[in-house]
Amino acid sequence: MKLTELKGLVRKHDNQLDHMLQLNSETIKKIQLQKPQRNINTTLRKRVFEVICFTTFALCTGMYIAANLEQTHLVVSGIIVHLFTLVALIGSIGQVVLLKQIDYSKPIVEIRKKIELVNAHDLFFFKLMFLSAPIWWAYALVALDFILGFDLFIYLDAEFINRYIIINLLLILPVAWAFNKLSYKNLHVQWVRNTIGFFTGSNTKKALVFLNEIEEFEN
Amino acid sequence: MKLEKKQKFISTLDAHKKIIYKIVNSYCPNKENRKDLEQEIIIQLWNTFDRYDPQYKYSTWMYRIALNVAISYYRKEKKGLVKTDFYNEESVYTIADEQEYDTSLDINISLLQDFIDKLNVLNKAMLLLYLEEKSYEEIAAILGITKTNVATKISRLKQQLKKEFKNR
Repeated sequence: MKLTELKGLVRKHDNQLDHMLQLNSETIKKIQLQKPQRNINTTLRKRVFEVICFTTFALCTGMYIAANLEQTHLVVSGIIVHLFTLVALIGSIGQVVLLKQIDYSKPIVEIRKKIELVNAHDLFFFKLMFLSAPIWWAYALVALDFILGFDLFIYLDAEFINRYIIINLLLILPVAWAFNKLSYKNLHVQWVRNTIGFFTGSNTKKALVFLNEIEEFEN
Repeated sequence: MKLEKKQKFISTLDAHKKIIYKIVNSYCPNKENRKDLEQEIIIQLWNTFDRYDPQYKYSTWMYRIALNVAISYYRKEKKGLVKTDFYNEESVYTIADEQEYDTSLDINISLLQDFIDKLNVLNKAMLLLYLEEKSYEEIAAILGITKTNVATKISRLKQQLKKEFKNR
């Protein structure tokens, strides 16, 4: 069958539909047209809750830094935790902005990208935690001091601290490399696909696969 | 005022009724869920009715909304996240005079529908719009890609279609 014949068939089918298809206006009148967008509202509420939590946490870490200005190790740890909290906060605010921009009357590719970026939010947190790996000690020091009033640092051997810092400095480059790789653009790489799937779940992975498809479609 | 708006809305839907019907049939393989998708699309159309931009044709605006909703629904259905107890039981469409319907047409249209079903959600949208005889410019406006890109993709889809229907 030629393409022109196929298009002719579709046209004929369309004409038939024109005659046969009827819209039930009574059914439409019964639809609760004011129904809110459940899914978007639920996700928006979650993201707003994140913003509130991270803002609170950022304020607490800010106050902690101010309260411990004389203790260099606590200030440094506090600043590290504070910076990561700010990054997380910016990420969550970005999500709220994306959600507010979702308007189904906009072009398909534009809206699909925004929706899938929202759906892939877990990857952002996973990558942030991953990036924290070389400086996880900052979290431990701050948490122990803040919650239990116990300053672990003063009990640590200087040699141990130096060795630990060197090991963590050596980790920075490989962690940065892996961090860069963990993106939807590298899903064709098996370890990237498996790592993302394992730590963020299948829904995030599907969102990332679709982001890839959208990008290919766009170019 | 609200009644007037609703009347205007329903007559606009009626003037473009095939759009929702075709999109629902293409993006909702599960017939049970089609009425839910129809109603979701109508709710979204209603919610954005006041924000219609006359810069674009009404059909362009309607296609964007219907396709965006359908793609979201399709992806949720694949994940098994669709709940069907939220809406009315009735479809917004009826097909009159079914006995007059040409069944030989139906077979070929079914084959075409099978082909469309195998495409990914974006190429599905592209092909639907092409078969609706939309201009490349309008397809580009609906999808949000360049006209050149539309031409390239349609050319590829045409090749695939030719292959599929070669021996039929």
